[in-house]
Amino acid sequence: MVYCLCTEGAHWRRTLHRVYTSEPGSSMNKALGRQLKKYRIFYLMFLPVAVYFIIFSYYPFLRGLIMSFQENRLLGNRPFAGLANYKFVLKDSNFLSAVTNSLIIGLWDMVLYFFFSLGFALILNELVHRTVKQTIQTIAYIPYLFSWAVIGGVWVLIFDLQGLVNQFLSIFGTEPIFFLATPDYARPLIIAMGVWRSMGYFALLFTVAIMNIEGQLYEAARIDGASRFMQIRKIILPSLIPTMKTIIVLLSIGVLTHFDEIYVMVNPANRRLISTLLLFVYETGILNFQTGTASAGATLVMAGTLLITGLMRKFIGYDKE
Amino acid sequence: MKSRLSKKDNLPLGLSALNILLLVLVVVLMGLPMLNVLAVSLSTQAKSDAPGLVLLPTPPTFEGYTFIWKHTNLPRPFFNTVYVSVVGTVLHVLMASLAGYILCQNKLPFRKAMTTFILLTMTVPYELTMIGIYAVNRDLGLTNTYAGLIINGMVSGFSVFLMRNYFQAIPLSLAESARIDGSGEWRIFSSIYLRLSVSGLMTIGTLELIRRWNNITMTITLISDMKKWTLPVVLRFILFDQTSTSGTSYIFANAKMAAVVMTALPLVVLYFFTQSFFSSGIMIGSVKE
Repeated sequence: MVYCLCTEGAHWRRTLHRVYTSEPGSSMNKALGRQLKKYRIFYLMFLPVAVYFIIFSYYPFLRGLIMSFQENRLLGNRPFAGLANYKFVLKDSNFLSAVTNSLIIGLWDMVLYFFFSLGFALILNELVHRTVKQTIQTIAYIPYLFSWAVIGGVWVLIFDLQGLVNQFLSIFGTEPIFFLATPDYARPLIIAMGVWRSMGYFALLFTVAIMNIEGQLYEAARIDGASRFMQIRKIILPSLIPTMKTIIVLLSIGVLTHFDEIYVMVNPANRRLISTLLLFVYETGILNFQTGTASAGATLVMAGTLLITGLMRKFIGYDKE
Repeated sequence: MKSRLSKKDNLPLGLSALNILLLVLVVVLMGLPMLNVLAVSLSTQAKSDAPGLVLLPTPPTFEGYTFIWKHTNLPRPFFNTVYVSVVGTVLHVLMASLAGYILCQNKLPFRKAMTTFILLTMTVPYELTMIGIYAVNRDLGLTNTYAGLIINGMVSGFSVFLMRNYFQAIPLSLAESARIDGSGEWRIFSSIYLRLSVSGLMTIGTLELIRRWNNITMTITLISDMKKWTLPVVLRFILFDQTSTSGTSYIFANAKMAAVVMTALPLVVLYFFTQSFFSSGIMIGSVKE
């Protein structure tokens, strides 16, 4: 019985092919029927998962796409509006400033996440003491466990007039700066928040990749008289290239999707400078019920994300191997 | 095999010193703010608002905690968060492992199509479809309900593939001999696959619990009723918009930081208990592609 299961199953592809190319009602059709019947239980088990994804993943995506071509109405029938929402959004000054903010914050975050986490992973790797290494790694990783609201709380405290940062600056005789209400610091503060939270996480991905490097490579390098610095340059960095590429692609997907930290930190003083695209979508669509406008904005963000990711993939040669 | 010898090489003294200096800097930059938050949360009201840096609360007091717990009605969002996160995580782990089990049946007809079907859901970040998510949930009557928060995110492509990778490590012969003995698929799934993948289940469970506990986007998309808000959303109001949560009373820094610690601490505790599963999850996740 089990034997049948294996051998017959192995041929399902061929069977399918025959089914598609043969006439209806042939014996091959029955063979597929037998196959499907045998595996019926698996399809049944898959049903809840499939239903979930259709209702809560595929359908909302389509629904948003459709709404972007409809008039701003949440209830009742929504007349078709053509490209009106897109035209409106592209002329909306709030949307346009959100594009600028998103690009500045998103691209800075991407670059800084990458280099800080790579740098941190590299210097951490040079530590010999295992326990110390792990402790430092844990300290750096912990902020990644926190909600953006928690990170916001940390920022409120340390960037306060009497906070940690001003205390530190006062050593050099600097007058206290009210960071959270000074527009000049709005973007740097948001970008720094992201780096503080995520550096440890991405560094961990690099660290795992460094640990997977074969020890023999170092030994061979040592026989050739390569210094540790040369080993880092010629062995560790090249071995990390696949991980770097994966992380860059991951990060480029996130460039335009900064939302939680903005929602937490936004206030009248910094709104103009840090309000991002997703905050625009949220405020327009969910808070003000302008669903058509918001969906058009969201669709443009999707297109932008696709473009950025596509460009990055091409730039780093992600799809070549 | 990794070689012990590989660690024998060291950087020259100067670089080595610079390296240690940089690491100390990282520890200070990461650790000091957290220590500062903890210390302020344990300080007295007067001390937390006075100028000067607090890194050690002397004497430690829970004043801030009791104040915020009572005055801003924090128990409500706290238990909302616990309820939504725990129930949601249990369902998530069940659904993801079920799908993972199906996807590792390598002789199943249409398995490729099913894999692609799930893979496609990972291509668009869900934040980008929030208007659609809101509309669909409203039509289903799920807005402003706990059920809405639990159901959305009940399974994710990431967890499904993580579980599939765990299951693929289990020899097929185990399942086959169970089939000979007449065990049904449900039984094979629950008593062989689930039992042998405890670390996988723990990994996706922990990751999902953290994700749900911290989630802001989904909560503010689906829930406008403040009574059903979760901890991070309420924390944001405590920090920045106090009039709406506390009525008249001013919230001092020690109470604000107490709320921060109460939101963050459960996850730190969870992390220390599940740390070993964690790194294995990241390994497996990174091996995937």
